Amino acid sequence: MNLVGLVFGAMFGFVLAAGQLHDYDTIHATLRLESFYVFGLMGLAIGISAPLLWLLEKRQLATPYGGVLSLARSKIERHHIYGGALFGAGWSIAGTCPAPALAMLASGASYGAIAVVGLFIGLMVRDQQLERSNKLITEGDGERSTLPMTKTLGAR
Amino acid sequence: MGLLPNQLPWWIAGPLLGLLVVGLFAVSNQPLGASGAYVQTIKTVRRDSDSVSWRVFYFVGIFIGGAVATILGPGIEFRRGYTALHAAGWSEPFIMIVVLLGAIVMGYGARVAGGCTSGHGICGTAQRSPASWAATATFMATAVIVTFLLTSFTALGDITPAVAK
Repeated sequence: MNLVGLVFGAMFGFVLAAGQLHDYDTIHATLRLESFYVFGLMGLAIGISAPLLWLLEKRQLATPYGGVLSLARSKIERHHIYGGALFGAGWSIAGTCPAPALAMLASGASYGAIAVVGLFIGLMVRDQQLERSNKLITEGDGERSTLPMTKTLGAR
Repeated sequence: MGLLPNQLPWWIAGPLLGLLVVGLFAVSNQPLGASGAYVQTIKTVRRDSDSVSWRVFYFVGIFIGGAVATILGPGIEFRRGYTALHAAGWSEPFIMIVVLLGAIVMGYGARVAGGCTSGHGICGTAQRSPASWAATATFMATAVIVTFLLTSFTALGDITPAVAK
């Protein structure tokens, strides 16, 4: 599974960099509503993957590393909204998001490192808060609960 | 090396991303989210977890893939980045602080919401998750509003993003 992670990470980073999604101007041209690039890209990515995932789930695809394919469909909770609002503000100010920040650094832009460090700080501050409050984090449907999965996957 | 164009058209990069999302689900039943990879990576560095998560390898992979695409495309050019902020006449320390604070808010928000642009914005929406659609709509709208404020009230408004439409 570690190799799978490395390969998929590499392909993901490759597409992000090839699409210049690590570039402040690409993001801001879209957020200024002057360019369709990011909207079109995300729309097509969803448009391609949503029907395929639906089909694979319907056929109860047995995945080699993660059991039968199961899609997550969590109910909307308050934290999705205010977390999303904070994320959107940061996205606009820093002009990058988590994966593109890494690609930015990889493309030679040294300030990408500042964004990566900031992301680490922000994510860990919240993670520590959650651990201290002993609340089970609802990971949302983008990040599957990492701990149990890690163990299953790590055993392979 | 110029083997790749400077920027792939969105109608090529978008479907490629979509296929990657489906691919990772088909192999491992996992979403292609990036913010979780940050959390796992720092936990591994701090030795908080017993085993090294595959997401750490995924994290490293994003960096490698980004470098490879840049080498095949425009070539790696060592620079500071954020040309628009420099063009707006902001001082070096101010830009650093803006980027750092922006990234901290973004990271915090991503952990509160449970995902980022890849996790909620593409993988969650593709799973038809109401939570992800709500988070995505919220961060999209907020980002557009904050960008509007930035271009209205700061020197950024005088800068035109240098990018193909």
